[in-house]
Amino acid sequence: MSDVKADETSSSEPPTGRTSPFDSSFIILLVVATGASAGVAFTEGPGRVAEIAASYLGFLALLSPKILCGFFIAASVSILVPREMLTRWIGAGSGARGLLIACLAGALVPGGPSMIFPLAAGFRAAGASLAVLITFVTAWSLYGINRTVIWEMSFLHIDFVLLRVLICLPLPLLAGWFVAQVMRQVTR
Amino acid sequence: MNIIIGTVVLMALAAWVWQRLATPGNREAALAGTRRMVLMNTPRLIVALISAGLFAELLPEEVVRTYLGDTSGVTGVLLGAGLGVLTPGGAFVSFALAAGASQAGASTAVLVAYITAWALFGLTKLIAEELAFLGARFIAVRVALTFPLPLIAGGVALAV
Repeated sequence: MSDVKADETSSSEPPTGRTSPFDSSFIILLVVATGASAGVAFTEGPGRVAEIAASYLGFLALLSPKILCGFFIAASVSILVPREMLTRWIGAGSGARGLLIACLAGALVPGGPSMIFPLAAGFRAAGASLAVLITFVTAWSLYGINRTVIWEMSFLHIDFVLLRVLICLPLPLLAGWFVAQVMRQVTR
Repeated sequence: MNIIIGTVVLMALAAWVWQRLATPGNREAALAGTRRMVLMNTPRLIVALISAGLFAELLPEEVVRTYLGDTSGVTGVLLGAGLGVLTPGGAFVSFALAAGASQAGASTAVLVAYITAWALFGLTKLIAEELAFLGARFIAVRVALTFPLPLIAGGVALAV
């Protein structure tokens, strides 16, 4: 336990990166939801809104064991792979191996944008190259564990999610390789 | 059926992770993190899922089929990618919209382009977080060098 807490780069931030359930993204969501309910209430009556709400709450109940497992996995990864270790790996990584590590880290580091971008800034401070940083951000964007396992799989069919992830699998490495080529040309 | 498969896969993964955590201290910390995530995310999950249902009801099926359906081809992929960049808010809004559009008849390729574009270049995220932590120059370089990725992903999905 104490060795996990010893990592100096990690703050007291929860593994989700969120500190309050009511942040700006939730407010946007509430506005969108209110607009959508008003739309349905206006076109089909308020009864239909209640019907839809009830049926999707039932769906959520069905999903809840899966979502709970997803939360647990995401919360565990930050314990199994402490951030300080990650920063060391990524800062030192170079070449194809560096890109592979960055890609893997982007896929596995749990958390939303409020967690990932400060982390990337930390990698940059630790000496990571632009290619490595872009690979990391791209991998997290395309198939970060939180987003894909918890959220995308909750809303969309698993075969769709798998197809999308499969298609996107090589893209962060491709992007990193391309960035490295361009930077070589630019700095030459 | 889909849900059952997903649940079983994640349960197996969770069991493996539980094994890897090895010590009671680690397990306790992981459970505390899980509890925090449940508290933080349950309200937005409820709102987002209900929104997905409302969107599915509201999206005009004919318009979705015509512009984002199976016959929309490359135009649909471009449109999907553009809408992805413009969708405000976090993962909940975009996935709820994608689920609604999927029910209304949007094609797989369009949805791949939409989600990929939102994930990589969603404006809310770029302005609210990436700008603050990594700076405008980093964003400009990243966007300039990787902007075709959603179109590549959508194009591949179109081909399979």
